[in-house]
Amino acid sequence: MASVGLRHIRKSYGALQVVHDVSLTVEDGEFIALVGPSGCGKSTLLRMIAGLEDITDGQVTIGGTVVNAMTPRERNIAMVFQSYALYPHMTVGENMGFNLKLAGVAKPEIASRVGEAARMLALEQLLDRKPSQLSGGQRQRVAMGRAIVRDPAVFLFDEPLSNLDAKLRVQMRTEIKSLHQKVGTTSIYVTHDQIEAMTLADRIVVLNAGRIEQVGTPMELYRTPANLFVAGFIGSPAMNLIDGTVDGETDSPVVRLAEGAAIAISPDRKVRRGQSVKIGLRPEHLTAGGDDSITGQTLLVEPTGAQTHVLFEFAGQQMTAVVDGDHPARHGTPFRAGIDHNLVYVFDTESGKSL
Amino acid sequence: MTETSSSVRVSAGTRIYLYLSLSLVAAVVLVPLVTTALGGFKTLGDLRLNPFGLPSEWVWSNYIDILLGERYWRQMMNSLVIAAATVFLTLVVSSMAAFCFAHIRFFGANQLLNYFLIGLMFPAATAILPLFIRIRDLGLLDSYWGVILPQVAFGLGMSILLFRNYFRNLPEELFQAAFVDGCGYIRFFWYISLPLSRPIVATVGIVTFVSSWNSYILPLIMLNTESKYPWPLGIMVYRGEFGTDWQLVLAFITLTILPTIIVFFLAQKHIIAGLTAGAVKS
Repeated sequence: MASVGLRHIRKSYGALQVVHDVSLTVEDGEFIALVGPSGCGKSTLLRMIAGLEDITDGQVTIGGTVVNAMTPRERNIAMVFQSYALYPHMTVGENMGFNLKLAGVAKPEIASRVGEAARMLALEQLLDRKPSQLSGGQRQRVAMGRAIVRDPAVFLFDEPLSNLDAKLRVQMRTEIKSLHQKVGTTSIYVTHDQIEAMTLADRIVVLNAGRIEQVGTPMELYRTPANLFVAGFIGSPAMNLIDGTVDGETDSPVVRLAEGAAIAISPDRKVRRGQSVKIGLRPEHLTAGGDDSITGQTLLVEPTGAQTHVLFEFAGQQMTAVVDGDHPARHGTPFRAGIDHNLVYVFDTESGKSL
Repeated sequence: MTETSSSVRVSAGTRIYLYLSLSLVAAVVLVPLVTTALGGFKTLGDLRLNPFGLPSEWVWSNYIDILLGERYWRQMMNSLVIAAATVFLTLVVSSMAAFCFAHIRFFGANQLLNYFLIGLMFPAATAILPLFIRIRDLGLLDSYWGVILPQVAFGLGMSILLFRNYFRNLPEELFQAAFVDGCGYIRFFWYISLPLSRPIVATVGIVTFVSSWNSYILPLIMLNTESKYPWPLGIMVYRGEFGTDWQLVLAFITLTILPTIIVFFLAQKHIIAGLTAGAVKS
């Protein structure tokens, strides 16, 4: 196990810079998720840590050693790929033991370590099969087995669950988490799925256009997003964001919205009268009935079982509320909700920063 | 592909047209083959009077005499040695060169590849005189190497092109996974690329083998000693000053093409997979 350090990492393809001055420390044994939309540079960053991509500027350290000039093998990392990247002509056992064979490990030792990893991942019955004879979930487990069998300093996961169906993804998520609890190896996990990041990671790094927007625990990012991007990215369904202007007294400020609507905000927010802001309302914080400060026409009702998502129109735009599954919302009827003013997020329109 | 073709409804007219076209193509290929094989069972007179029909009398001795003769087997061994060495060298050199073109970026890579591909435009016959002079200067005249080396050189263009396209279509993530596992370029080539390239190895191997098997001009120019002649030159023996025993020529040809047909049928699946590799996204 080892810590991983990124110091002022930059990556350019010709004149195009895709990663801008990224610095980050991943503690020994920590599980960290790099999350962001497509093209934000998260996979590029992971590949630079792996040694599969040249670093334009900056330093990568693993266990305190600068590894910029080292091959992936010398960095002692293991990587799980989105497409599993299993060798199709080798059996499961050969796939898992291939890196040990290349390292010159004796055959009995390879068999013992492959057997141990296979037991941990319930792959014992499949060791003689070829990858084409396995299901998607089994292939993913073999890819993980190939990674753990060599006992690396760092695990790198590049969107490993993207090719699985929704149910299997949830099951494999649990397996990855319990595997990390068992082996405790430092892990860096790239995903565009914020639920995956929230459920797996000790800390999440939110990336946007090659820059780190915020680093924190899942609940820190959820409760105190640093800016509009993080606020919109973390949470499902996404936070409702509405343009407005600050008004009212200092001890009881409100934000005036379109169509004469107004929402009270916490007096702790550092705002000034007349300031253009965006307020953020999490769908699950809207209380059906409530104080009726939010009222609009119901546009769409999406029952999901325990909860129902209600899409309604408020202050000239579409909003989503998450209400109890039994809520009698119907298309075309008025929808009324309230919200605690301490749960109303406020962002500066110009800078996007949380106020 | 199977799903697509099975889901397309074909009208009766189209079906008839398809079968007629395919029968015509099959006839173009089969008629000369069958005529040659049957011709080997005829007498010379029968062959002149009835070149396309069944033999009026089946003369098995044409085939049996050739098979029992020492010359046929010696020439077969010569052909085999020349073809096997040509195939081996072509596979080794072209697969390694193609791997470099597929995976390693280096200055002048495209120009060098184009240089190899230019070879596709020149059949060996057009360069036979300078080739003869060079082989003579190297002291390789009247040796197997005098035939093998030019055959390898002229086969490289197509072989490199086929291998390179196949290697480039192997998933990039396999290369990265192997790199993380500890492979360098050579180990990746040996442990991953080559085992996954069996279809293209079979294709290049068969195409090179057949080309060497049928080669006539090169051995004719480079070899002088009859004991070193490959099969295609063996036909010359039946050409006399005043006439040719065509029935023996046809029997001999049939016996020489038979092995390549058998090899083709055995490796047919691999050859077709290799030729169509990369044509559609898998």
